[in-house]
Amino acid sequence: MSLQGALRRSFLLLQEQQGVWGSILQECDSLAESLGNLGEQMGGLARVRLSDTPLRVFPDLQERLRFQLVQEADLLLQRLRGRMSDLQSVRDSISNQASAVLLLYEDAADTLDLAALSRRSSVVPSAADMLEWLQDAERYYRQQFLQRKILLQTLRLEDLSQVEGFPQRWKTLESPDSEQRITDTLCRLSFFMESQ
Amino acid sequence: MTSSNTKFSAVTGSSRKVADNAADWHNLMVRWDKLNGRGFQLATNIVNMRRSQTDRRPPDDVPSASTSQSFLPVVQQHTAAAADLQEECSKLQAVVDQMVVVVEKMERLTAVQKGLQDLEEFQFGPEGRASPLCHSWRTREFVDSAQVLLAAFSQELKLKQVVLQELAHTASADLQLVYLSCWLHQPYIPPQSRLTLEALLLETGHRPL
Repeated sequence: MSLQGALRRSFLLLQEQQGVWGSILQECDSLAESLGNLGEQMGGLARVRLSDTPLRVFPDLQERLRFQLVQEADLLLQRLRGRMSDLQSVRDSISNQASAVLLLYEDAADTLDLAALSRRSSVVPSAADMLEWLQDAERYYRQQFLQRKILLQTLRLEDLSQVEGFPQRWKTLESPDSEQRITDTLCRLSFFMESQ
Repeated sequence: MTSSNTKFSAVTGSSRKVADNAADWHNLMVRWDKLNGRGFQLATNIVNMRRSQTDRRPPDDVPSASTSQSFLPVVQQHTAAAADLQEECSKLQAVVDQMVVVVEKMERLTAVQKGLQDLEEFQFGPEGRASPLCHSWRTREFVDSAQVLLAAFSQELKLKQVVLQELAHTASADLQLVYLSCWLHQPYIPPQSRLTLEALLLETGHRPL
């Protein structure tokens, strides 16, 4: 049954892309951390009145340091955006695969026997279940990507509290439960994926 | 056309001197960056020590019987921490001393460059030589870029010296952060300085055109 073959390929792809997603996200986490760090430095600079400190002998210091910090932050943002497009390609490949499988199912839906679709064995879950899990995974990556993209797009470097709080807000988007559910699904399917 | 390397190994006189100077600028700036990295590590240590000292300080207004017993170890602890702090400060002082040496060498390079220009005026008159020393720059432009770089590093050195003096004496977390930030991001050495160096290296053939 070709639907089964397509499902197998989809989960193999999902497994691979899950790893890619994770490693990109790790990079993003450290970039977000650095960005927050720069935000703290900008905040410190904004709160200190340099004219009241020994640094008063450098009248243009505030402006120069701010410039350097903003430039660094800009660079980090650029790198984060670059990683976002990598995340987008992961999401796209999962979405494309999931919709291709769904299309295949819909085309064959009339001829498929409902009993066959929901039949499961100890090593092979039912096609209906697998379709559902694939849709769940696809939705997870789609939402994750959107939430992170929106957070990044609404970030303004002028808004210091936003920059300082960025790593925390980035972290709150983590969804270990959903991530774990995908890992569990892949574990449950390991026999199925290995069988040919 | 031979490669730029062989081309410049054959040149002598002012052209050779200019090319050597450019290489020295590059090496001094690399040296500065290394010192800056090491200095930043030390500065961070100093700030962390200061913070943990402040955290550890016992409340002064708690009179209790145990104070007299615990007083001695607390004092010892403080002296030990102060000694550690002093040591890190001395290391940072050593780094800044080495930075002073770097800037002195930069001053000498700039003086040599100016000397080359004076020599040229002496040889060829106020108009200078007819054909450029390297690719296209007039001798004046080498002096200009040397002066731009020297001004940047001298000013940055002054900033480092202030940071060195004040870092261990400030209790304000924000100000500590500003000092560290200054040290790391080097506001007086903007990206343009790196471009100036690259232009110098391109002109003298150290970087392929």
